[in-house]
Order: sequence, then C-alpha cells, then structure tokens
Amino acid sequence: MKNYDLITPEGTNDLLFKECVMRKNVERTISEQFYSRGYSEIITPGLEFFDVFNLRSRHFPQEDLYKLVDRKGRLLVLRPESTMPIARVVATRLKEATLPLRLCYNQCAYNVSTQMRGRSDQVVQAGIELIGSSEKIADLEVIETAAAVLDKCSPGNFSLEIGDIGFFNELMNQLDVDDNMKETIRNFIETKNYPALNDILDNIGKNNVTKALKMLPRLFGGEEVFEKASKLFSDENTDAVLLKLKELFHEVEKLGCKGKITVDLGMVNKNDYYTGVILKGYIEGYGEPVLSGGRYDKLIAEFGYDVPATGFAVNVDAVTKVKLKNEKIAARSVEAIVFAEKGYEMKAILTAKQMREEGRTVEMAAFSDLEKVKKYAADVKIEKIIVVNENVTEL
Amino acid sequence: MSKPLRIALTKGRLEKDTVGLLESLGFDCTEVHEKGRKLILNIPDANLEVVLAKAADVITYVDRGVCDMGVVGKDTIMEMPGKFFEIVNLGFGKCKFALAAKKGVDFYEGFGVKTIATKYPNVARSYFETKNMDVEIVKIEGSVELAPLLDLSDGIVDIVETGTTLKENGLEVKEDIAPIAARLIVNTVSMKMRQQEIEALVEKIEKKISE
Repeated sequence: MKNYDLITPEGTNDLLFKECVMRKNVERTISEQFYSRGYSEIITPGLEFFDVFNLRSRHFPQEDLYKLVDRKGRLLVLRPESTMPIARVVATRLKEATLPLRLCYNQCAYNVSTQMRGRSDQVVQAGIELIGSSEKIADLEVIETAAAVLDKCSPGNFSLEIGDIGFFNELMNQLDVDDNMKETIRNFIETKNYPALNDILDNIGKNNVTKALKMLPRLFGGEEVFEKASKLFSDENTDAVLLKLKELFHEVEKLGCKGKITVDLGMVNKNDYYTGVILKGYIEGYGEPVLSGGRYDKLIAEFGYDVPATGFAVNVDAVTKVKLKNEKIAARSVEAIVFAEKGYEMKAILTAKQMREEGRTVEMAAFSDLEKVKKYAADVKIEKIIVVNENVTEL
Repeated sequence: MSKPLRIALTKGRLEKDTVGLLESLGFDCTEVHEKGRKLILNIPDANLEVVLAKAADVITYVDRGVCDMGVVGKDTIMEMPGKFFEIVNLGFGKCKFALAAKKGVDFYEGFGVKTIATKYPNVARSYFETKNMDVEIVKIEGSVELAPLLDLSDGIVDIVETGTTLKENGLEVKEDIAPIAARLIVNTVSMKMRQQEIEALVEKIEKKISE
C-alpha cells in the first residue's frame, strides 16, 4: 500500500514564512477596510449540510463539491463559498436583528477544481454582506468598498467592473423560447461566444430582442456602453436598469476611480443568485477575477426570511500571490538573540522579557555553547548576540 | 509602445493558417517563419508575441492568463473546457466530430452495453449522456480506427475530415456529433484590461474572414 503521509492532497499547500506572512498581511489589510465601515466578522463552520447549497436559485454542481457523510448518513459538504451559509445564519439566528446588518468574513472555501491546471481547491475568501437594504446607497457602499479593497491590494493598478443582470433578464423575458434554450443563450453570452450566439439567435428569428442579445456580450467598456445599450434596446424596465447603473458608474468615478471602473452588461454567470447590480474586480498579474459579488435580493428568502442583500468576496490567495511577486517582505525579523551562560538561565529569560516589553523582537538561544549560538545567528541572520552572565553584554 | 499582446498558437496547421491570416492583414511575420527552435516569437508591427504550443496547452495558457489570446480547435475546447471567451470562429481547420462504426452494422442494435474507443473521452461521454446512454469508454492515444477492427470497441468517436481513413478500414460515419473549426479565444481578464488592443485586432480579423 502506498503511504501518503509526507504530502498534502492535490490542490492544497503548506504556506511557509513569507507566503504565510504575506497572506496574513493581506487578510488584515482587507479586514481593516471592512471593520472601518462598521462590518462585524462572523465565522461559519467548514462543514455544512449539502442542502444549504442546493437551493432553487443556486444549485452547486455535485462534482464541484467536497462531500462527506455524517454519523446519521446525511450528506455534508466542505463549504464552497460563504454567502449561502451567511444567508442561513441571517434567516435563523439574526432574524430579529436590527437591519441593515453589516457582516464580514475571512475564511476558506473548498471547490474541486479542474485537475492539473495549477489551481487550489482550498482558497481563502474575504468578503462582506450588507443585508436589509435595497437602496441605491447600499449598492454604492458595496462598490466603493470593493474599489477601496482593490486599491489596497494592487495600488492604482486594478479594474472594477459593474453590470446589472436586470438588463439581460428583461431581454430574456421577452424571448419566447424554452428554458434549455435560454440556458444555452446565457452560456454563449457569458463566454462571449459571438459566432455561436449569432447562429442560435438567427435561428430564433430577427427582431429587436434577438438583435440586442447578439450585441450584449460586446457591451462592455467605459461610459460609451450606456449609450450603445439604450440605442439597442429601450423599454421602461431596461431604461431604469441602465439609468441606475449609469448613475452608480459616475458616482464611483467621482470617488477617485476614474479610469478604473468599467461596465459589462454581458456578465451573466451561471448559477448566480444575483438579482441586480453585479461586480467583478481584476488586478494586474492575475488571470482571473480576484473579486466578485453583487445584489441578491431573493436568496435569503429561500431560507425563509425575505430580505434584500448585496455583497462581494475577494480571493485572498490570488492577491497574496500577486503581492509576493511584486513586493519584498521579510519572513521574520529578530533583532537579537539572548544567550545564557550556565547558571544564568533565569536572568537571561528576564532580560529577554524586559527587552520585549520595550517592543523589541528577541529570541532565546537554545544552546549551551556560545560558538553554536554565533553560527546559528549567522545562519538565520540575527545581528545582535546578548550574553548573560554576571553582566549583560552585547557582542 | 505598450507590452505586446501574447497569443498562443496551436503548432502545425492552425499555426500556418493563423500566420497566413495575420499576413493577409499586412503584418510582418518573418520571425515566425524563421523560428528555428524558438518558442516565443515577435510580430513587432502587430505588437504581438507569438507562443507556439500543443492544442491543450493553448487552453491552459489562456485559461491561466499567461497568454492573452489563443488559436485552438473547437475539438480541444470541447474536450477540455476552461474559463475564457471564445470570440471568433476563424473558419479554418474545418472538420467534425462523428460517431463511426463498421460499415453496414447497426450501431444501436441490441441491448448490450456499447464500448466506444476515442482520443476524446469527455466529448464521447457527454455525447452519450445527451442520449441517456451508459457506454464504456476506452481512451486510445493513436489510431482510433484500429479499435473496432480489433473488436476492442463497437464504435469510435473521432475527428473526421474527409472520411478516407474510415473508408479504407471498412468503417463509416453513423452520426455527426459537432462541427469543428479553429477559434480565437481570449483570457477573461485580458479582455477587460486590454480591451482596446484586443478589440482592434479582433475587428480586423472579423472583417478579413467575412470577406
């Protein structure tokens, strides 16, 4: 039998020293942004019942979930994301709480990723959920927070994209096709598969709805998108969606994001519980979005509490990887090592303690021989050696 | 000039066709023609950096964002889907996925479980899933046509271009599964971060191939 006692499962890693320090830094930086806006952190269990992730509005494909069985034979999963568990908490223990609720989290999500593509199955996600407000100011708060987080993660070198699923939904409502066909069209728009989308819509027929759907995946970029979209299709509902999105766009621009904010009306992701404004964030040097989120007004109702909500999550590991490439950090910096000569151990420990109280980082020497201490200090790059006997001497 | 856009090309015929397309747009592809053993080449006047790779690797590079764009057959995309935008059907590299079996034999006859030999197990699996059929799939690396002749399988799922190989081995196409042609794929982040450059190139390509 082969023993796997010396390696970690595929898609998981040990993080050592610099990698670990950097991830903690990123987590702290992001969390501070959340705390300073009044968000309270919550922690949900890594294990959840499968049912939490098997709702009508969002079905997680079985093959992407890590599954276990509990003592009673019920199906459990390692949480693939945090929004659904938080929706569960809000609909149960927080049902009587004063709204709006501002919740944040920083925890792992587990997904079975495609093998051999160099992706992790365990990813730390930090995010917020703003629950109980459907006002535009709530959307603006979430977008502003997302922009602030991206700017902290990749100063000046990020792109935040907003869209609104309402535009697509309204077009689809006016299209007389079955659900399978709708899903196919959605998929072609999501993957910006222009040729296949054209073919399928040509088969359905030429009208202003199919014409607009054909152009939908191309409706991304700067401010010009709004004009293109309204020329393409205009009714009461889509006009309202575009107007709100355009206002948000300009407001976020004015908040110091000029040139950093873009629009994509073709963001129509699968399995989404989003009902309104959606957002995605990109940073230079990472080939996938590092931030995603949006408004999900119907999700918590599926847990029995009808309340609107919006939020986003950041892929902390992705940000960490990019920062490790671009920034130099020290894994640890120990200022001095304290060596106790025989019989002076207690005095040495008290000396080190005194130094730490002054805010210095001090290590105890775990040797009885000064030569070994010197060699060790040189190896791990500690500059000062403090020898403790009747006196306290710095070498 | 900004950092060049990096495009991964599937080595071989798709590479030649793509280079031909770029040349017809007026770009100087000398370095690609005289590549020797180099794997990364420049087309300076298009501000492109060409990476030559195997089909499956083109998908991996674009999916992971180390290349901004790629040219790859629909066959490879169907076999190993990823997260990227599939924006242009380039029209060349045309062929099809088909189910083939021995000539004159009814593939669906009887109630026994069918065995399928293929280089494309995912394509074969999802094709028979749409028919609610459980089939046994045998992955073959070389000439798939051998499998039914050796009685390893009842049929094959493979790329068919002219059908000559099938005919010469006593096989025939039973059903077409999907048409195939080369696609221009784009990384989801590159599409947004470098929208203008990519759209400008795509526009030229679309105009050329619709001529």
